[in-house]
Amino acid sequence: MSAPTSTLVAEAETQQTQPEKRRGGQWRYVGSKLLGSFGALMFVLVFNFFLFRVIPADPARTLARNRLVSQEQVDELTRTLGLDQPLHQQFLTYLQNTFSGELGLSFKYRVPVSDLIIDRFWPTLLLVGTSTILASLIGIYLGMVSAWNRGKVVDHMSTGSSLTLYSMPEWWLGLVLIAVFAVGAGPIPKLFPVSGLHSTDVDPNSFVGGLDTAWHLTLPVITLTLAYLAEYSLIMRSSLLDEMGEDYLTTARAKGLRDVYVRRRHATRNALLPTFTLAVLNLGFIVQGAITIETVFSIPGLGLLTTEALEVPDYPVLQGTFLFFSVAVILANLVANLLYGWLDPRVRS
Amino acid sequence: MQSRARTYPFEVVIPVVSDRVKRAAGGVAAGAVGLTMSVIGVTAPQAAASSADDPVVFHVGLRNDVDSFNPFLGIEATSFEMWALMYDQLITYSPKDMSPQPGLASDWTTSDDGLTWTFTIRDDVKWSDGEKLTADDVAFTLNRILDGGPEAATWLAYMGSVESVEATDPTTVVMKLSQPNSSLPLLPIPIVPEHIWSDISEEEVKSYANEDEVVGSGPFRYVEGTAGGSTYRFEVNPNYWGEQPKIDEIVYTVYQADDPMVQALKTGEIDFAEDVPALQLDALNGEDGIKTQLGTSPAFEEIAFNTGSVDLDTGEPIGDPNPAVLDPAFRYALGFAIDRDLLVERAYQGAGEAGDTIIPSAYSNYHYDPPDDLAWSYDPERAAELLDEAGYTMGDDGLRTMPDGSPIGSLRLLARSESEESVNTMDYFQEWLDDLGIDSEVTTMESGKLTNVILDGEFDAFEWGWYVEPDPTTMLSYMTCGQRGSWSDSWYCNPEYDRLYQQQGSETDEQARADMVKRMQEILYRDAPYLVYIYDKIGEAYRCDRFEGFQQQPDPGGVLIFQYGVQSYLDMYPVTECGQGQGSDQAAADDGGGLGTGAVVGVGVAALAAIGAVAGILLHRRSTADERE
Repeated sequence: MSAPTSTLVAEAETQQTQPEKRRGGQWRYVGSKLLGSFGALMFVLVFNFFLFRVIPADPARTLARNRLVSQEQVDELTRTLGLDQPLHQQFLTYLQNTFSGELGLSFKYRVPVSDLIIDRFWPTLLLVGTSTILASLIGIYLGMVSAWNRGKVVDHMSTGSSLTLYSMPEWWLGLVLIAVFAVGAGPIPKLFPVSGLHSTDVDPNSFVGGLDTAWHLTLPVITLTLAYLAEYSLIMRSSLLDEMGEDYLTTARAKGLRDVYVRRRHATRNALLPTFTLAVLNLGFIVQGAITIETVFSIPGLGLLTTEALEVPDYPVLQGTFLFFSVAVILANLVANLLYGWLDPRVRS
Repeated sequence: MQSRARTYPFEVVIPVVSDRVKRAAGGVAAGAVGLTMSVIGVTAPQAAASSADDPVVFHVGLRNDVDSFNPFLGIEATSFEMWALMYDQLITYSPKDMSPQPGLASDWTTSDDGLTWTFTIRDDVKWSDGEKLTADDVAFTLNRILDGGPEAATWLAYMGSVESVEATDPTTVVMKLSQPNSSLPLLPIPIVPEHIWSDISEEEVKSYANEDEVVGSGPFRYVEGTAGGSTYRFEVNPNYWGEQPKIDEIVYTVYQADDPMVQALKTGEIDFAEDVPALQLDALNGEDGIKTQLGTSPAFEEIAFNTGSVDLDTGEPIGDPNPAVLDPAFRYALGFAIDRDLLVERAYQGAGEAGDTIIPSAYSNYHYDPPDDLAWSYDPERAAELLDEAGYTMGDDGLRTMPDGSPIGSLRLLARSESEESVNTMDYFQEWLDDLGIDSEVTTMESGKLTNVILDGEFDAFEWGWYVEPDPTTMLSYMTCGQRGSWSDSWYCNPEYDRLYQQQGSETDEQARADMVKRMQEILYRDAPYLVYIYDKIGEAYRCDRFEGFQQQPDPGGVLIFQYGVQSYLDMYPVTECGQGQGSDQAAADDGGGLGTGAVVGVGVAALAAIGAVAGILLHRRSTADERE
């Protein structure tokens, strides 16, 4: 996820070198970004269709295996699924449906794909969204503390522990947390449920239900937050260190500003740019869910929906979810681009 | 510099950074978390507090999800289990060996020519909404399948030669057949209420989820959840015609991994864990209040050969099977090269028993027991002898040759990448072949890909398995000539076998049919398109301090749930300690244990956090005051 950041920074730099155009530059910038996003979307739309048809499996056969099913029934199923049509015809139907807002029926669940996506979207948003926000806030904070205390114990501890957490497999971290806090180990009692999104005996829409969901999500959110932390803290740390050597800080100090003020009002603001970009870009990845964590904690999110669909393969679900993911990433990129241009005038000129 | 800085909108994002404020902020945050926790801790047990009126809830952990609650659409085993709770079938299955027993139909008769079946429908059955269930509902359901459309895509083959279904009076259903059908009265089709489903058109059925206010006649009503959503709740159906269950609710939770499910059983979040891997089961052995078992399940795994892939239109061979595997004598000989017990022990960690034919021993009625002089055992010398006899003699290079002296070459053994057992089994098989002087090579691929490879005939042997239904017709059909290019994966074709298949399909004398089915298994055993090596067992574990009284199927040795029929759910009852008999003491499942501790800790954490927050704030006040001075 650092790759897009560096591209963006590089882009910012190249754009910086272009001759300055005072009038309309801003709109041209916005326009070009919009057009680029649109192009990416169109590409994804076409690519999506063919990507999943490369999977060497016949959905109708997968769905009918191990039951008393005659070949006629398999053929009938193939017809129902629309797989008897030639590929180009299927492609045209797909385009037509997608443009009219129809994502089709899931092969496996036989309900509209859009319903499935909406159903699975909320758990994912709660889980990954909360973790991303927490990780970016805590990560930025840790990064700042590390940078200011560079080389001191706090720095080593923060950098060391966040790197360790980063390199741990998420699912393993999740399992350890389950073993300790959901089962109970030694003096630690069982504090949280092992898995799931909410208890069955409470209404998830009530106040108690909300608390119950929060209680269920505590461990998975902690797991993901810990796993994501390093990304933010390390970038924040290094960009703040870069800023701290700058002359304007010396100037500010020379003017008699307090150290705390100099760091907070001057250094941090400038150092936040790359981290900010990373955070906004990651917003786009939220919807993809976290397959491993959704698996370990049995949370029915979009990540699981997608992996399960691969087994059939459930083309409409795969197409729908990937389109959704792509749109989210493209939107996040667009937002990052536009905001970046707004935050840093060098970019848009 | 400063003017630009002012345009930055980061005021809100920047966490406050002064050393003192930091402490205060930390304290407040911790306080908030603690407060949330204590609120949850305090409120949750209230919801779960046990009293005499509390429903007895049976929590089950599963590893596979439901794909549809619409009995005309779903295909997953889990869906079948759910439908069985919601709906009745005409007949149900005995716990002993899954033989037919009265269900909705209390009695059935067949005409002398076997072409007319008359079912007597119970007249005391009500749907869960209070409407009466009549023969019309049965005829309606079965006719929907005969009519074609999506219902037929799922169920038509089970109807066999049934041509028409008619309700002649409210308690009588008459089926007319084009030819006798030995599968009847087994008809595993859930009967749905006409007064609900007649409003759902054939087009609507295709995407009808059947999740809101579901009306059924089974012992439980489906009240909460959505297919694929991991949690499903069932309540007892007060109108159920049969024996009332001794539990009030069943809650299923689908786990995406084995470990969390096992942990949940340990903590008591679930009372029953279905499909636990053998290794995990071992770890659960000896845990307080938990019983485990490996239950026989009517499924097998086999090493299958390409017995002759052909183009079905021209009859010309297709693909490239090794000529050796086309020879029944070669295949049969290899049956002695497989150490089945070792595979069960090593590749399956004991979750199974050595298998031999395609109808598992669980179906004692139909299972063929090969006589000693025919039966495979692990006997490499016998295998070598048989290969020598068949002309596959050892060459100078230590490898066996074809009867004409040409080299056999390397056999291509295919394993399914999603199954560790499959890969391990083929690895062992390769070693055993190597011991015999036959070269081979294991390739791993996804089952979707494997299906295509099989249909193209580009393989020598692969590993896969089947689940076998109580009526043997389905399994037997996979080995007929007509299934080549369709469900047959060994390309097996034997006219004698096909003739018997037709015959057994219309033989209405039970014993005569069983004899034919056994004869067919014997043919397969000798021709060896499949080397069946294991009958699967399913790991199950439950909290015996909460529930007892489960009914195995087949009895003895069978699984406790996920059976044919729902007997186990009707028999089980709540207890307060392991091994208790039914009716001893009023037992209510204790749901609040973990939460109680949670509450205590929550309050404690909240108190500590509050102190921390206050201290932090005070410190902050004082220090900033100092700094200002």
